[in-house]
Amino acid sequence: MKSASSISLTRRSLLTGAASAALLPLVGMPKASFAQENVVKIGFLAPLTGPVAAWGKPGLDGCKIWADWVNEAGGIEIGGKPYKVELASYDDEDDAGKARTGATQLIRENDVKFIMMLGGNSWPGVEEIAARQGMMVSTLLPSDLTPDTTTLIAPCEVHPIYNVTGVDWLAANHPDLKTAVVCAQDDALGKPSVATYLAAFEAAGITMASPPLFFDPATTDFAPVMTQLLANNPDILCLDTCYADYVQPLCEQAFQQGYKGKIISCTLDFYQRIVERTSKEFMEGVIFQFPDFDDKALNDPRINFKKPNEFFAEYVKRYGATEWSAVSWEYSSILDLWADAAQRAGSVEPADVLVAMKEGGKGKHAFGDARWWGKDLFGIDNALVGDWPVVVIRDGKATIAEFRSIPEWWDKNGQLLVKHMTDLGQMWNQRT
Amino acid sequence: MPEKTSIGGAGLIGILILAVVLIAVPHLVSFSQQELLVLLTINVLVVVSYRLQTLTGEWSLAHVVMMGAGAYGSALFAKSFGFPVPLAMIAGAITAGVIATVLSFPLFRMKGFYFLIGSFAAGEILRLIWKRFTDPFGGPKGIQRIPGFPEIDLGFIHIDFYDPANYYYLVLVVVLVSLWVLYRVEKSRIGLTFHAIHWQDKLSESVGVDAFRYRMLAFVIASFFAGLAGALYAHYLSTVNPNQFDVNTMVYVLIWTIVGGTSRWYGPILGVVALTIVDEVILRSIGVDQVRPLLYGLILILAILFLPNGLESLVIKARDALRNRGGANLPNGQAVARK
Repeated sequence: MKSASSISLTRRSLLTGAASAALLPLVGMPKASFAQENVVKIGFLAPLTGPVAAWGKPGLDGCKIWADWVNEAGGIEIGGKPYKVELASYDDEDDAGKARTGATQLIRENDVKFIMMLGGNSWPGVEEIAARQGMMVSTLLPSDLTPDTTTLIAPCEVHPIYNVTGVDWLAANHPDLKTAVVCAQDDALGKPSVATYLAAFEAAGITMASPPLFFDPATTDFAPVMTQLLANNPDILCLDTCYADYVQPLCEQAFQQGYKGKIISCTLDFYQRIVERTSKEFMEGVIFQFPDFDDKALNDPRINFKKPNEFFAEYVKRYGATEWSAVSWEYSSILDLWADAAQRAGSVEPADVLVAMKEGGKGKHAFGDARWWGKDLFGIDNALVGDWPVVVIRDGKATIAEFRSIPEWWDKNGQLLVKHMTDLGQMWNQRT
Repeated sequence: MPEKTSIGGAGLIGILILAVVLIAVPHLVSFSQQELLVLLTINVLVVVSYRLQTLTGEWSLAHVVMMGAGAYGSALFAKSFGFPVPLAMIAGAITAGVIATVLSFPLFRMKGFYFLIGSFAAGEILRLIWKRFTDPFGGPKGIQRIPGFPEIDLGFIHIDFYDPANYYYLVLVVVLVSLWVLYRVEKSRIGLTFHAIHWQDKLSESVGVDAFRYRMLAFVIASFFAGLAGALYAHYLSTVNPNQFDVNTMVYVLIWTIVGGTSRWYGPILGVVALTIVDEVILRSIGVDQVRPLLYGLILILAILFLPNGLESLVIKARDALRNRGGANLPNGQAVARK
């Protein structure tokens, strides 16, 4: 069936076309010339509005930089032809119904060859259409993976497993800290992350001062949450994978209630605002997992992300320093992997690219060479894991303290993680 | 006041045109708009069933949760108990009706604003139960891989209901039958009693009307159809989770209903259709994804400022104008008599 919109010629499109044709000789040809104008379209299906937009919108902004750079350099050479990259985005509002509509538009109308998603609530709406169309889809949340999701990959962020590196580093550098508390919103993002932190604390010999505190995602007043957390005077306050809208008020509450211990969190999006609203002294030493890409440690030769410092500078120039978030670079790093695999496959077709991407069971993750893994936790080896940075706030600025290996931690403590995931019903075979 | 029920020649032609449009529309829109069409048709049932409940004067904030009760019920009947999907859908709707019956006892001890708050609390309790108990409700992640409506294969014809156009026709039939039932309820003695309780509850009780039972009846019928809408939704998307039925979604139902108007049965339909087209088609097509909520809010403010009686007031005005024009050609006095 052909859509009416795709075949209609409106007065507006006619005028636009005529005007463009008339202006072409004046403006000349674009910098990069694509002989046959080969274009490969990549879909971006993530929340751009609503409470989870902080994990979608900055990613799209990063992808625009990536695409501009690639196209300015002449496109991607695939099968002997240069391909221009175009992004097609759809705001799924973190909703399965809207994600299904968006996936349909991207696959059947925009003819994209790869879709990048945040995942989570929206993935179930896309799962069947992706399977039926054979579309390769990436997620930032590997808890979407099951043995049936053969075209779904988690090639960048193996959330929440990398959180173990932060706890591991904390235990090694602050052996005096012995008790912890953890809180998270009661949802599909919070629970597996809590399980991971519980496993990491147990592996590090840190005991829980109180059971995990799950608050409702509709919570707006975090004073009682923090009061309850601090009641047992913990050495470590763990903010788990709380949404950006929760991390800021939680930190403010900890500050206002006079907390003096160590804070560890998965993300600390827009941390400059938190520093402004608390103090440099209070935020000194806060540990999280997502670096600013102006960090010199990212210039290490093992880092596969291309030109991280320049990328950060361009991002700040276009959108402002305070707009940088955990996902600003992640979708772009997935595009790096996709482009590399498409070049090796000599094709843009999803099935060919997927095979090339997983060839040899190894891949070039943003933070170094990594392996395709996950069968024990997700029932399928579609998550790319390797090293992950531990980031610490120093003098009000996010700084990479060290890279630590996720596989090494897993090899030593994997059973602990399985145990806590099972206890919270987060194993793939426990999901209804 | 209930409007006139007889359908004239012009009305019949209008219905025929509407029928042709409803049948043809999936073939006139894009693939993604077919998906929207399915969700829009389901939402039509949600808002019209909600309006039935408001006839008694009580505005509930639990309607979307009742939709969720139908969705969860149907999903569990199909997935855990092996019910055939069509049967599971009906069982899901009945589940929502039964839950509404139980909730009626505490809720209808309250009226007006207190009922509104009470219904919100009751809805949240139900939603938090789904979130709290991973077994059987799946916790925050909800239930996934819910079986879809079974394919029909008669050899010469094969209908796959995963295809949005096919599912739209199924939903259309269910929704039209439901709307007809809701319409008949409103036009019946029961519906008139709902209106009476809304406008004169003490007077109604003084002549022997049991206001509690009628309020409960409206709540149960509305919840049954909301549950049916939820079941249609769950088996289409193959997933349900507690966030889909939270207060944000309820706010949308309220907006659709208020912007459409509630004095006529078609008011909420106008609201949901117009606002969905504005938000999901027009605003998306002009590429303003990130400022959509802002523009949507602006449109709502303008609608409330300039159409305080809802979009339905435009239809009423247009119909009156047409009648007056028709009346101008009639002999003196007849135009007035037809009003």
